[in-house]
Amino acid sequence: MKNFTKSLLSAALLSVAASASAVTDADIDNSFKPYSKGFPTVNGVVAGLVINKDNVDQYASVLDDGLIKHIKDGWVDITVGEPMDFILNQGYIDATKSGAKRVKLGAKVGELEGYVAGRPFPIEPSLDDPRAGEKMAWNFQYGYNWGDGAAISPFYWKYRNMNTGQIERTIKFNFYFLNFAHRVNHEPMPEVTPNPSKLFRGIYLNVEEPFDVKNTQLLIHRYQDDLKRDNAWLYLGFQRRVRRLATGQVTDSFLGSDLMIEDFEGYNGRISDMNWTYKGSKTMLLPMYDAAKQKRTAEFNESDGYTYTTYHGKGGCFPNVSYSLRKVYIVESDPVDPNHPIGKRVHYMDAQTFTLPRTVTFDRQGKYWKSWMIGQAHPDSHLPANKGTGVSIDDAFGMMDVQSMHCTTGQFKGIVDPKQVKEKQFSVQYMRSFGK
Amino acid sequence: MKNNKWRTKPLSVAFAFAGLMALIVPQQVLAGIDTGDDSLEISGFVENATYIRNDVGLSKFRNTLQLEGTKLLGNLGAFSEVSINGTFRATYDGVYDLNSDEYGDGAGGAINLESTNGAPNSPHGLGLGSTDPASVFFGAPLPPNNALDFDVSANPNRGLIELGEHLHDADGGVTFGVPVRPCDKDSRGCKGDYISDTLNDLRYSDFNDRWDFIRELYVNATIDMDSGTTFNLSVGKKQEVWGRTDLFRVLDVLNPVDYSRNNIYDELEDIRIPLWMATAEWQFGANDLLDDMNLQFVWIFDKFRPSKLGQAGTPNQILDAGSLFRGLSNCWDNGCTVSNFAGGDTATNFGPGQLGIRNIEEPEWSLDNGQFGVKFEGVYSDIGFSLNAFYTRSQLPSLRGSGGPGGFATENPFDDTDNDVFPYLIAFDMHFPRVVLVGGSLDYYADPLKTAFRAEVAWTKGEEFANTLKPRLFSESEVVRWVLGADHNFFIRSINKNKAFLASFQTFGQHILDHDREDGPLGPVGMPDWEDNYISTLLIKGWWFQDRLSPQIISAYDWSAKAYVVSPSVDWLINDNWRLQVAANIKLGTGARKFSDCRTCNPFSPFTATPLHDNWDGVNADAGDIGLGGFEPLGRFQSGPIGMAQKEDEIQVTLRYRF
Repeated sequence: MKNFTKSLLSAALLSVAASASAVTDADIDNSFKPYSKGFPTVNGVVAGLVINKDNVDQYASVLDDGLIKHIKDGWVDITVGEPMDFILNQGYIDATKSGAKRVKLGAKVGELEGYVAGRPFPIEPSLDDPRAGEKMAWNFQYGYNWGDGAAISPFYWKYRNMNTGQIERTIKFNFYFLNFAHRVNHEPMPEVTPNPSKLFRGIYLNVEEPFDVKNTQLLIHRYQDDLKRDNAWLYLGFQRRVRRLATGQVTDSFLGSDLMIEDFEGYNGRISDMNWTYKGSKTMLLPMYDAAKQKRTAEFNESDGYTYTTYHGKGGCFPNVSYSLRKVYIVESDPVDPNHPIGKRVHYMDAQTFTLPRTVTFDRQGKYWKSWMIGQAHPDSHLPANKGTGVSIDDAFGMMDVQSMHCTTGQFKGIVDPKQVKEKQFSVQYMRSFGK
Repeated sequence: MKNNKWRTKPLSVAFAFAGLMALIVPQQVLAGIDTGDDSLEISGFVENATYIRNDVGLSKFRNTLQLEGTKLLGNLGAFSEVSINGTFRATYDGVYDLNSDEYGDGAGGAINLESTNGAPNSPHGLGLGSTDPASVFFGAPLPPNNALDFDVSANPNRGLIELGEHLHDADGGVTFGVPVRPCDKDSRGCKGDYISDTLNDLRYSDFNDRWDFIRELYVNATIDMDSGTTFNLSVGKKQEVWGRTDLFRVLDVLNPVDYSRNNIYDELEDIRIPLWMATAEWQFGANDLLDDMNLQFVWIFDKFRPSKLGQAGTPNQILDAGSLFRGLSNCWDNGCTVSNFAGGDTATNFGPGQLGIRNIEEPEWSLDNGQFGVKFEGVYSDIGFSLNAFYTRSQLPSLRGSGGPGGFATENPFDDTDNDVFPYLIAFDMHFPRVVLVGGSLDYYADPLKTAFRAEVAWTKGEEFANTLKPRLFSESEVVRWVLGADHNFFIRSINKNKAFLASFQTFGQHILDHDREDGPLGPVGMPDWEDNYISTLLIKGWWFQDRLSPQIISAYDWSAKAYVVSPSVDWLINDNWRLQVAANIKLGTGARKFSDCRTCNPFSPFTATPLHDNWDGVNADAGDIGLGGFEPLGRFQSGPIGMAQKEDEIQVTLRYRF
């Protein structure tokens, strides 16, 4: 009887959690404009503060354990910058307002009902909601990350020995993103048609340099049905052939880097691949900044004068950017697949943008494995093309494998411009014609 | 010791060449040359490939400079994304200078041809029929009008090898001499463009009258139509790749292949022979049914080029075909001594114009000789697919015998007054017949198995095969070829936590629909090729240290030939510029195989008739094969490319500097 009651209670809770939420405009305003009444403050954490091994304990409440350890170990100092409001694109906010009330979770993880566009769950998550983590994951998945379409061109990855700082490889990529569905800002909206397989998103990348991987291309199709496995194709320049990729293996080191395909953008996988747990909200320092106020480098000689993020700290692995106080949702994800190499990830989601500027990864033995940070630049002080786009611009990343003392850094030139992204780029045939 | 003057100079030149290239490119260059022009990309590499072969020594000392460039021209009239793309390659293979005793102007020597009748082996030219008193058969009773002898002064016993000697003894079978020096050093057996490589052609294989140093040079342009369709036009010298599988060429047949570079073991990218062609492609994108759909037309307007099989006297000859062709060609032109021929046991001379390869019929350039392809490709649900058709020519030669309708008259070696068309005679013209190919491919990822599958199938009509049951010793057959492949990634976390291993398995199958073989009185006769044959390959590859160290082992097994090759290798990306690859190529299993050699085809009854032939009347009998055989020349079709290279185990070291 006790078990029966417990089951009923669980079912009721699940039912409540899955039902369409009574979202109000106030909820939505609060979700998109959490700083309308001012930025969060923490005693002593002000612009210009440098947190180092000598004072890190004093500011431990605004840092995650991994970063605290790095600072204590003398690997990096953190400089606090001015807080900034990252207001997302109005089209995305409007789509949220018109659709959020109809959105609810399905019975299974990965099922979402009534969703058209915008932020699916613009509500304050509750620790009492057993599926709050899943909702936050959906907010990330259907976030305005790179808008309806964008390019990172070029995108420089450096493979570094964390002990010596030696740069072992430099790879020059071009990345392209296109939302086939849930579009909010650029025609066609809300969906590209025809879309026979009901694609949600396409990710296409190609490699320009170095020579041994030149013309390598990767195409990922993600479906609106989260329960359907991604399709992925790899074009190998030296073979001039498109290979169907075993997409089950998104946990493989991508081109020898410290990233898995699943790590792209903080998490690049299906919602249904993970168990999501909401762990609470707090004010933390995240690498979100005004790019114009950072130390930049012209090492890649961009003809338009664009400069890239610099790196510092242990092995040159840490983006040399300022951190600002942000409202953060802490969400843990642990893989459904028992053979997954990861034990869990702890995502520090920026509550305003639902980007993932900071993720800490543990291996299956529960040991700290990877330290993952994606610097978010405000669009209005980035490239002119990005001004006013309402996209939090991924500007720099550092992925550190703290067990093997190796890291991969990424320097972005992200451009939120639909003209840079063509639908044809997300076809298998494009890979063949591009790779000739 | 021959060619001492070349023994050190090319070596130093080659190293100097490689070193110079490395020096002139700044070490800090990431990749590509900074042209100062955003619309112009240039990159390339210099490379030295040094291979050591057992019992031979140096088999390759190839130095390569390759440049690749793209110039973006932008919009041009109705076209956008107009670009000029070029790849240029210059190769010098020092093996012809550094190991010229084996490959080059010092190769070959004097040979002796076997007689299993108890007589000592006969030097080339001194077989039965020789009028030289030095012949052990001098004075043997022969028909009075015989024309068995040939002019040894024009076809001397030097610069020769015995056909197949690197792989097998004569062992009672037929062999003959093969001139192995470059065609400018010894013109015997050289014929047309097909067998014509001079020493410099071999040294500098990219520089020839087909301008092969231009690996690619084409203009590419696009029209983005209002309908959403993209039209892509590409014209120039290029490679066009069809199909989805590795290693096997079921659909990837638009360009012929240069097997002389490294037999079947180089990347196809490096050995496809580029052709002048135009491709027009409509990329329709998605529609209500398909996620992607496109249609491509290919017109190859280049002069037909067969695959390059390797010339006699060079290290890499697929099926040892180059030696067979040159030896046969020399037999026709100059005569030759054939081991164990007369009576099946006596080294026998044959004069010019009696047997061998008379002509090589290379198709002239004309619009009629063009090749045309069409491909429809798409993605339906989770399945990628293509349908392909190609109107082409056989890239492998067909030897059409003289002995039947459409054949040609030859001299009867036993009666020089009798010039006629003799059925079942091993005298040939080489042709490259028209072939029609229809096929398709697909790929699919099976999530429950975590495995990506791919398949190709092609049906061809027009291919020709050796067939000793036919008077002209060939017949046509439809052929079905297919490949099934599977890629599966798997982790062994204990030895590599971050990176999965790749296991890639493929099986190739070939079915000859009109296969023709019988059991003759002395052995099987007909087509030496297997009616059904399968070759399976398995690749296991791993990556460590950010993919900079990649060991792999690739193996292939020819099920019918029972021949096996295993090639372990380690690829080390030292940095963004330098790459070192060390590999071994080891063959196991069965090598040479025997099949009827048509010694007993009885083309010259009564001189070659036996009681075992049909309608034997005590003197004459019908022509036809009764199956006495040996390793040469048809056993090669049973051994396949792996078995025929059984004695070619190698250690291979390749150092590349990219810029």
